Amino acid sequence: MTTQTQTQNVSVNNFEQCLKCSICTVYCPVSAVTPLYPGPKQAGPDGERYRLKSKDFFDEKALKMCLNCKRCEVACPNDVHIGDIIQAARIKYSTHRPSLRDMMLANTDLVGTMASPFAAIANPVLKLKPMKAVLHGVMGIDKHRTFPDYSSRKFESWFKKEAAPTQDQYSKHVSYFHGCYVNYNYPQLGKDFVKVMNAVGYGVHLLEKEKCCGVALIANGMPKQARRQGEVNMQSMRKAIGQGHVVLTTSSTCTFTMRDEYAHLLGIDNHDVRGSISLATRFLHQLIEKGEIKLAFSSDYHKRVAYHSACHMERMGWVSYSTRLLKMIPGIDFVMLESQCCGISGTYGFKKENYERSQAIGDSLFQSIKEAAPDCVATDCETCKWQIEMSTGVPVENPISIIAEALDVEKTVEINK
Amino acid sequence: MGGGLSGLTAGIALAQAGKDVALVSAGQSMMHFMGGSLDLLGSDPSGNDVYKPLEAIATLNSKHPYTKIEDVSRLAGVAKQVLERVGLATTGDTTVNHWRITPIGGLMPTWLTVQGMATVADPDQMPWHSVTLVNIINFLDFPTKMIAAGLRDRGVQVDVKAVTLPELQVLRQSPTEMRSTNIAKVIERNDLIMKLADEINAQVGKGCDMVMLPSVLGIASGDKASQLLRLINVQAAYLDTLPPTLPGVRMQAMLRKHFTALGGTFITGDQVTGGVWEGDELKGVTTAKLEGDVLKAKHFVLATGSLASRGIVADYNHMYEPALGVDIDDLGLDRTTWAKLDVTEAQPYMEVGVATDAKLRCQRNGKTVANLYAAGSILSGHNSVKLLDGAGVDMLTALQVANNILNQ
Ligand SMILES: Cc1cc2nc3c(=O)[nH]c(=O)nc-3n(C[C@H](O)[C@H](O)[C@H](O)COP(=O)(O)OP(=O)(O)OC[C@H]3O[C@@H](n4cnc5c(N)ncnc54)[C@H](O)[C@@H]3O)c2cc1C
Ligand code: SF4
Ligand code: SF4
Repeated sequence: MTTQTQTQNVSVNNFEQCLKCSICTVYCPVSAVTPLYPGPKQAGPDGERYRLKSKDFFDEKALKMCLNCKRCEVACPNDVHIGDIIQAARIKYSTHRPSLRDMMLANTDLVGTMASPFAAIANPVLKLKPMKAVLHGVMGIDKHRTFPDYSSRKFESWFKKEAAPTQDQYSKHVSYFHGCYVNYNYPQLGKDFVKVMNAVGYGVHLLEKEKCCGVALIANGMPKQARRQGEVNMQSMRKAIGQGHVVLTTSSTCTFTMRDEYAHLLGIDNHDVRGSISLATRFLHQLIEKGEIKLAFSSDYHKRVAYHSACHMERMGWVSYSTRLLKMIPGIDFVMLESQCCGISGTYGFKKENYERSQAIGDSLFQSIKEAAPDCVATDCETCKWQIEMSTGVPVENPISIIAEALDVEKTVEINK
Repeated sequence: MGGGLSGLTAGIALAQAGKDVALVSAGQSMMHFMGGSLDLLGSDPSGNDVYKPLEAIATLNSKHPYTKIEDVSRLAGVAKQVLERVGLATTGDTTVNHWRITPIGGLMPTWLTVQGMATVADPDQMPWHSVTLVNIINFLDFPTKMIAAGLRDRGVQVDVKAVTLPELQVLRQSPTEMRSTNIAKVIERNDLIMKLADEINAQVGKGCDMVMLPSVLGIASGDKASQLLRLINVQAAYLDTLPPTLPGVRMQAMLRKHFTALGGTFITGDQVTGGVWEGDELKGVTTAKLEGDVLKAKHFVLATGSLASRGIVADYNHMYEPALGVDIDDLGLDRTTWAKLDVTEAQPYMEVGVATDAKLRCQRNGKTVANLYAAGSILSGHNSVKLLDGAGVDMLTALQVANNILNQ
């Protein structure tokens, strides 16, 4: 009985486990650059005690500054879900309607759908000074930002035409959740993924219906829409899993959102799907460990690669899958960057009120990249890619693209027969 | 398993010797509470200050982890070298303890102190005549009154001053975040060292022969901290603050950086949840985040810390080791014997930890596990609060375990 009282008395998000040690404060990228932010301990478990008494203690302006990077959670020795407490409070208490700008930034797929057919126009226009001034002044999108280019041909269109017809010839199969970024901005990553999977003997299939994972909707105060989209994704994934597929992604943030935030923040029941959603690097690493596949790399590949641990990758605890996979490439001179936030946090850094803070957060990361002088930076998150490329000029690639580039396809196909 | 001082020390020693090492750690470690000094043995079991640690170590009872170290003096030297190699130069050695000044104004014997911190060679003879104690205005983790009182008790004349800069006053808008580490970030990012030095110098009166400052600089390396000291017109040094303590945070960051530079894999924010056993041998461990995947290895080191880090856990009826379920030297089921009501007394629960053989190998169901070692504060048989032997036990047992593995 006594043991039951002790073990079953678990508070939501473990907030009662907080022993006020302040270790989270040491690692919060926001409280390091602005005193206006009350910090993880105060915004999280401490503030929650007050909010439970009265919603008047909810300070929306302060909590909005949280990046939801979860670095506090990674650091907390007592497993308090600090970031979850903060985001859940925003969902629960906010009465604010998102602005047009926030809605636009959050609807990555809608905007992508509109921009893609006009990529030839949209890309140069988004780069024009007057356009940036309008976005900055009217919309509140910071003028310093470079927008990720929109691709003229969506990944989905490419896939249907160029890849889909040949996928059934493989004996093993996976489903691919490509995400908005691959679809609208950088189809090359999706192509690289198909190339690698095919080489090791796996056919790739798209989900029946794919919606944006919703990470930006959550961050911008649109949990209802996020929930709707999440349910659609779960339905499609259930079908794919029913056919014996795992669902792979090439984005740490989409993966984290669908595996963890769906249940923790949106109340979506994903328990039957969660274990089958994985990151491509993790899946490959597991197959190699089990001896089921082998990768062969071309002997003339040489690159100095610095790995940046994206926040949600770190929170998932999966960094080592990607880094150990990269280290398998003989031609790679590998540098591990000190793990820290790049400051972009999805759409956060696009907002003019956050721009300076966002750059200040990333500053020491940019510095350490310049010092490491790599040929490219590797990271599993697409928004880190924009931020790091814009701020350092060093190209950034997903580990899957690096593997695709270094892969000796013929040999790999041969040894996996 | 465990990324604190002991886990990282073992990891560095093994990676240095060419082993492929993965280190899993759930959350940050106790180093964030540790000041700028590492203790070897500061107090004997009856509570007297220890002057010559090696002599006192020779008299410790057979349960103490030091009895499993082959050559304390040699490994203590190696530990100092490890710190130096990661970029943490220290003063002190094993021949004789020196004294550090605690954040509440006491003096405590210690072994190694990070350079730049104030230390005293002989507690009966304070090396300064007139000290100026300069705090940052509104920084609450540095109780100047207590420190001043402690120094005055020992015959030192103390002036208490406080300085600030506009950037630091802005920081104060969020009172709970006015912490040593955030102060360091503000000063270092805005290049305020010179300005801060000017403010401090303006407070130093005639006759002052020592300026003491709270340790609020040098988060990633000690460079900025040393730079400030050089800019002060008289001799100057740092004192430990209340946690989070900067020298400890820095030590954690630098050890970890060194470990990954040696090729080690640091898996952070994850927790070891169980072992995969084959007979009496540990084949692999499972973790919360790697889900079904097993981390396989030839050798394992358990360095998950004491009760404070949940390396040992207590419920109403038991104490146990939660990660792998190895045997512990416990206090039996009578809970009333676990603690003493007088908090200043030596607390029996402090000595609870995992049971090990002479080679620091763990036991499971009474049998030795040939390839599982334990190091650091998870070990049974000592009380780091009473004996002042925390960092010494961590580093020396970690290095001994590394040796035991390499010599196998
Ligand atoms: C307030 C305070 C002040 C101190 N001051 C000093 C001082 O000034 N000088 C000195 O010499 N000593 C001091 N000590 C003692 C010293 O800090 C400790 O002895 C030392 O830090 C312990 O190191 P460790 O590596 O054994 O354990 P820890 O630092 O506790 O590290 C253990 C790590 O393992 C992780 N972990 C736990 N369970 C799991 C699991 N299942 N899987 C994976 N990881 C896990 C924990 O999260 C933690 O990161 C102090 C201790 C405290 C509490
Ligand atoms: S690190 Fe965890 S336990 Fe410590 S103050 Fe933050 S939330 Fe609380
Ligand atoms: S999630 Fe990130 S920004 Fe938010 S409190 Fe935690 S560390 Fe700070």
